[in-house]
Amino acid sequence: MTTPSNTKINKISSNARTSILAKLKAQVSGADYAKLPKEIPYDYPLLTHPEHIEQFVGHLEANHAQVIKTHETDIAKVIKAQLEQRNISSLLCGENSLSGEFIVPLKTDINLQAYDFSIDGNKEMLFNECPAALSNSRCAIAATGSIVLWPDSDEPRSLSLVPPIHFVIVDAEKIYADFATLMTEQQWQSKLPTNVVLISGPSKTADIQQTLAYGAHGPKELIVLLLNS
Amino acid sequence: MSEDLTQVNSKESSDESKYAASARAFRDNVSRDLANDELRANFRGAMDYLMAKRKDAFSSQDELEMLRYQCKLIKQRCLAKLPYLLEELEQKLEQNGIKVHWAETITEANEIIAQLIAQKNGKSVVKGKSMVSEETALNDYLEQRDVECLESDMGEYIVQMANQHPSHIIMPAIHQNKQQVAKLFADNIDDFSYDTDVDVLIQQGRKVLRDKFCQADVGISGVNFAVAETGTLCLVENEGNGRMCTTVPDLHIAITGIEKVIEKLNDVPPLLSLLTRSATGQAISTYFNMITSARKKGEKDGPKEVHLVLLDNGRSQAFADEELRQTLQCIRCGACMNHCPVYTRIGGHAYGTVYPGPIGKMISPHMLGLEATSDLPSASTLCGACGEVCPVEIPIPRILLRLRKENVKPKNQQPQIMKGQGAGRSSVEAFIWQVWAFVHKSPTLYALSMWGLTRFRFFMPKKLGPWTSVRTAPKPAAMTLHERVKAQKAKQLQAAQKRRV
Amino acid sequence: MNKLNSQHLRSYPKNPKQVYLFGTCLVDSFFPDSGMDAIELLEREGIEVIYPQGQSCCGQPAYNSGYQDEAKAVALSQVKQFPLDIPIVVVSGSCGGMMRHHYLDLLDDVPEIKGFCDRIFEFTEFLVHVLRLKIVDKGPKEQVALHTSCAARREMGVHITGNQLLAQLDNVELKLHDYESECCGFGGTFAVKHADISAAMVADKTKHLLATNVVKYISADHGCMMNIDGSLDYQEESLRGQHIASYLLGRIKGKESV
Repeated sequence: MTTPSNTKINKISSNARTSILAKLKAQVSGADYAKLPKEIPYDYPLLTHPEHIEQFVGHLEANHAQVIKTHETDIAKVIKAQLEQRNISSLLCGENSLSGEFIVPLKTDINLQAYDFSIDGNKEMLFNECPAALSNSRCAIAATGSIVLWPDSDEPRSLSLVPPIHFVIVDAEKIYADFATLMTEQQWQSKLPTNVVLISGPSKTADIQQTLAYGAHGPKELIVLLLNS
Repeated sequence: MSEDLTQVNSKESSDESKYAASARAFRDNVSRDLANDELRANFRGAMDYLMAKRKDAFSSQDELEMLRYQCKLIKQRCLAKLPYLLEELEQKLEQNGIKVHWAETITEANEIIAQLIAQKNGKSVVKGKSMVSEETALNDYLEQRDVECLESDMGEYIVQMANQHPSHIIMPAIHQNKQQVAKLFADNIDDFSYDTDVDVLIQQGRKVLRDKFCQADVGISGVNFAVAETGTLCLVENEGNGRMCTTVPDLHIAITGIEKVIEKLNDVPPLLSLLTRSATGQAISTYFNMITSARKKGEKDGPKEVHLVLLDNGRSQAFADEELRQTLQCIRCGACMNHCPVYTRIGGHAYGTVYPGPIGKMISPHMLGLEATSDLPSASTLCGACGEVCPVEIPIPRILLRLRKENVKPKNQQPQIMKGQGAGRSSVEAFIWQVWAFVHKSPTLYALSMWGLTRFRFFMPKKLGPWTSVRTAPKPAAMTLHERVKAQKAKQLQAAQKRRV
Repeated sequence: MNKLNSQHLRSYPKNPKQVYLFGTCLVDSFFPDSGMDAIELLEREGIEVIYPQGQSCCGQPAYNSGYQDEAKAVALSQVKQFPLDIPIVVVSGSCGGMMRHHYLDLLDDVPEIKGFCDRIFEFTEFLVHVLRLKIVDKGPKEQVALHTSCAARREMGVHITGNQLLAQLDNVELKLHDYESECCGFGGTFAVKHADISAAMVADKTKHLLATNVVKYISADHGCMMNIDGSLDYQEESLRGQHIASYLLGRIKGKESV
């Protein structure tokens, strides 16, 4: 769109681009990259699968996440109990998880709400009327206790961000040793989605006199339902 | 909001950052802050905490050193390819629907952002943590144009409320203790009464900012790593405000320095691991956010438009010199300042620059010119504590030595590497060193001067300027080591001769 | 690997019969006793110590102030004073670091400079790694603290060798002071150029040394000692430092502590 404003910033940007690239290229054009030294990554010790699970859970709990080892058939029961403890009776989920057989039993006691709307025009509702949310996860990382989400149209980005309580289902069979291994095995470089987020605990900050406080802006609570462990 | 283009193009004095003035006041700032006992206690406590956290995160010295070496090589490779990676980054981002803008100066960056916001009639901005936006003084620029700009990182929120700048690149309000924050909140927020419970304070911040995330037109963020291979912007954070700023408002503008581009996706894990562990001793930050496009068709949330502004502001000057280019390896972890005995005592504000501590001393001369920062290169004992912990092995003491050399070079000596070359040169000092060299390179003259020093030692003044304001002056010896050795040799020779007789 | 670890990668000569001593300008003019004691210690181990009378200063004061041309002129003059291919023992970690590491850059156009730099050894480094000095402690029981200069620590690994030497003294208990590895605030011209920051740093260093209640502290660097002792004297405290050469010689000879 060519508005006067657009033209203006395009001009600034294009002049700057020409100038900056010229300055940088003057230094390195013709450089022989074959001469760069060899890079050797550190060889991390290989752990067993049970050790990975232990490492994963250990990190999350140290970061104040709650980890509940459970089975698919018990998901509804666990969530119901956790919500009741907190006097919460509604849960926001992805559109398709609503029809998932493991969630359906919740319908009787909990107001299950599908994220079947656009955030446009619904921000106030999302921010003020959704006390808890449930999402799945793509996989997880043991070395840092991280849960990997690839948000999509079914489970949008704000689902795992805005509601103050986030329930996330993690399959222990999908725990990778570390981030580098995960990225390489799944060939991320060829297919990154709009957004990827690694979640390693509830939101926190130590900005006031280095004193840890939880629930800064993201969810105050992260409740991990760990399957197949 | 129509700005005259010529105003933007004049890169001289009107472009001078407000930090140039505060940087010039370094000595006065230091004097003021050294006398502030509460400030010094706050910093001592904070630095001890951060140093201990980092130490605990690196239990294997082997792993640490190998990882540092690997990350140095990664950053050096990316810098060696910088212009090409920037082109690739731009190409990939634009393929992904993210528009890329370039800015040589801080005013250009601010103007681009201001125009992008004006195009959308944006009136309220919520900001994730971005040191580069502090560098450009973006908030001031936008506020002058009637755009409300609220910081959402807790530390930045506190600092903004106090009308201050961040005093640390990771923990902006590190100079305050909780009593000070409690008082600040009580004085500035209606219906909030003084309470030093940190949870209460944080929840108050959460309440105010949650509203802002919901209402804001625009989210502005920084970038920790910009991956050229995939056209991805990576953000590191613990609080969630970064995700909020980059997910909820319709317009997301990211701003970063040109040196932040990384070649490949698999360059990220080692850099990320060293960044979080060096900064706060965490294996990983609570959230690691990777943005590759704006909202796609069918998606329910996310910004409809995403822009990236790439800023130079002196980085290309550092780049142009092979030794100084190492400055750009920095991944902004803050470990250098956490371990710096000077930073611990004078605090972050005394520097007067956006970036304090050792990294601030290295990068500010490029951003502000040596004229404004001529006191900085010498404000270090070269103890090397910083270089020891730098995750990307920047040889900080060496670079400071180099900056000192540039600072005292004759102003017109070619080649001119840095803007403000020779700003710290004093003809008196230059003469003193010339005389010193003349004497010390000649054994005869040196011996003569030492004879004078020792024989006239009782005439040495007891007051030696600033040295003797807190120490007694040392006294020269009666005979130099040269003379003692010579005398002893003569005695040994005599004794040997006597024995032979 | 980075320079900071280089001392772990160097090879040490075996049983040299002769060494040079580089006294440093500070020892030359203010603290010659330490130089004499260092020579005596080396001679007691059967080594001939050559002290070139033409030596003056390593050039660090000018170098650190940014006057590299002036530093270079003086550095070149030093190199010429030590022509034989024998070790050069330096009685200071910061001068040692200057001559071992920084000369490589400063005198990069001098063809034999690497050979020169490879012959530079800091005093305690030499005692531990070359002489493999075995000390029999004849001194009285006492407690001391150890202060290692930053350059000595980070460029020459002296905190390790200094500690190893003191650990051999059976009658000596080493007390660790708080913030042991933190800079004392000397930094050469820093103490004059940024006097107030330097004052704040030496105030803390002396505070932490005094808190150990030792009668003396040991150091291998007279620059730091001049700074710390000057402050202690000003504060009318009796605690003083002693150079490690003098201290070790005293313990070996069994003299009463000075």
